[in-house]
Amino acid sequence: MFQFISVPELTKTLIASFVGVLTLIGIMTRPFRWNEAIIAMGGAGLLLLLGLISPVDAFSTLCRDWNTFLFFLGMMGLSALAEAAGLFDWLAVQAARFARRRAWLLFLNVFLLGTLISMILSNDATALILTPVVYVLVTKLRLPVLPFLFACTFIADTASFLLPVSNPINIIILSHFPLDLLTFLRLMLLPSLIVIGINVGIFFLLYRRELRGQFKPERLPPVNETIKHRVYFRYTYLVLIGVAIAYVLASAARFPLSLIAVGGAFILLIGALAWKQSTLRETGKRISWSIFGFIAGMAIVVRSIEDTGLTATFGNWLLHLSGGTTFGAVMVGTAGAALGTNLINNIPMAVVMTSALGSVQHAPLAVQHGFLAATMFGCDLGPNLTTVGSLATVLWLLILRRQGINVSGLDYFKVGVIVTPIMLLAGALTIWWLL
Amino acid sequence: MRVLCCLDGTNAEPISRVTDLLSPGGLTVGLIYVIDKGPHHDIEHARERHFRPPAPPPRRERQMLEVEQASAEEIIDEGLHYLSGAQTIQREGRPEREIVNAAAEWNADLIIICPRAEYSDKHKIGPKSVGHVARFVLDHAPCPVLLARPMNRDQFPIKR
Repeated sequence: MFQFISVPELTKTLIASFVGVLTLIGIMTRPFRWNEAIIAMGGAGLLLLLGLISPVDAFSTLCRDWNTFLFFLGMMGLSALAEAAGLFDWLAVQAARFARRRAWLLFLNVFLLGTLISMILSNDATALILTPVVYVLVTKLRLPVLPFLFACTFIADTASFLLPVSNPINIIILSHFPLDLLTFLRLMLLPSLIVIGINVGIFFLLYRRELRGQFKPERLPPVNETIKHRVYFRYTYLVLIGVAIAYVLASAARFPLSLIAVGGAFILLIGALAWKQSTLRETGKRISWSIFGFIAGMAIVVRSIEDTGLTATFGNWLLHLSGGTTFGAVMVGTAGAALGTNLINNIPMAVVMTSALGSVQHAPLAVQHGFLAATMFGCDLGPNLTTVGSLATVLWLLILRRQGINVSGLDYFKVGVIVTPIMLLAGALTIWWLL
Repeated sequence: MRVLCCLDGTNAEPISRVTDLLSPGGLTVGLIYVIDKGPHHDIEHARERHFRPPAPPPRRERQMLEVEQASAEEIIDEGLHYLSGAQTIQREGRPEREIVNAAAEWNADLIIICPRAEYSDKHKIGPKSVGHVARFVLDHAPCPVLLARPMNRDQFPIKR
């Protein structure tokens, strides 16, 4: 619209900022429980309609993020097809077998399994696929369900910065600010191990009473029962090992990780179709297509805000707040990303921070790395604070509980408030020490 | 007297021992087990956070429901093993709320409940030894409640 009418630049800036802020508030509050994708795409559509971003710019923004889109597709495909093979059920039963009747050892094994799955298949697979699998297992074993459920949900995020592929947030950030694998591991591996240790330790302390018992191994389902098709299962197993190796090699060679994910998912799909273990339609149903709309909408909204210079100002403010020191960069980056991720969810926060980090490019390399590592760390681990999604969801749950309506998400929040600040502080201090 | 016994998967035997202490004449025993739906909501919240529809895929959801049902039946059968001839009530939802509502509907004269599910033989006395389900039932029950604590004489005397 404003392409046809002459409007002062300041007015355009104000309107673009207003639409951007409105979109973020919409994502935070989700009026009428609208899907976030509708809100993000609505914001992007309004900006396009008003001419505050040209269709060409919007298209080029989306093309620039091809690696992120493809990675999400490959990651969801890999998880869905591995689940179809019964891999997650098989791994959970193996974890129980290795526990030798002891509840505490099974609890530890669930943490280790969650770490392994998050590391290779990303946090989505642990939170969404492993959690119900573990729920079924511990219900069969007549063990207390909540500690195991919380273990899965928390470790999904706690173990999501072991490798760049462990969380799609890392891919969003690293697509704009590439880091070689060695630098990534140098900055993130030790903090990962430390926060995983803290998470496991605190959970053992919190649930020590529930984990004292034993379970009867005869309640365990036979291993063969978990495997639906032996050949496809072996095929999946081998393909995933290949994908894990390829991820490491591709990270080292700076080859796009999305191509590995999509390639691996395609190879699994061929096997699933050949052995009739899934169909294209079934696999398609397991993919959250709305997430692409959400990321696309957010990318366009943030791009138009970027044009107003607001995100650059935000980046400069972060740099100023950090005092230009590595300690400040890590602390400000971690706190900002973690708080923002609980306000507006981690994907929009990662997109906003990625745009803002453009302004710290003139800072010394150690400060840049500090901001980069802290942003990934805060966006990956931050969701554990509220876990249910965002502070808006927590507030919504509080209102429901006050009205006497059945809610359970607050139980997560109570644990998250204890565990997450400690992990954030310990991890941030370790990153600073490693810089 | 109508006595409603709350099963939690770990307490069939201790509950039966408590009912033995009551006068057997005219005792109608009911066994209630509630499938806790809290974990389902937790899984739904986690899915929504990852931009997925709240319900897990149909096959997985069916599996979860089947396991819950099988486990509930097993727990009630265990209760019947110790308290043969008892009436059985199976509910799903929030255990604490379902128990008090069922007690009112069933016209219970007494509710017997254990402080919390015990997964080992070590029972601790002291603060927080009564779990949230038993605490809610004590606070909201429509009839007298008998809290069946495990025998714990070895932890006495406590500090005066």
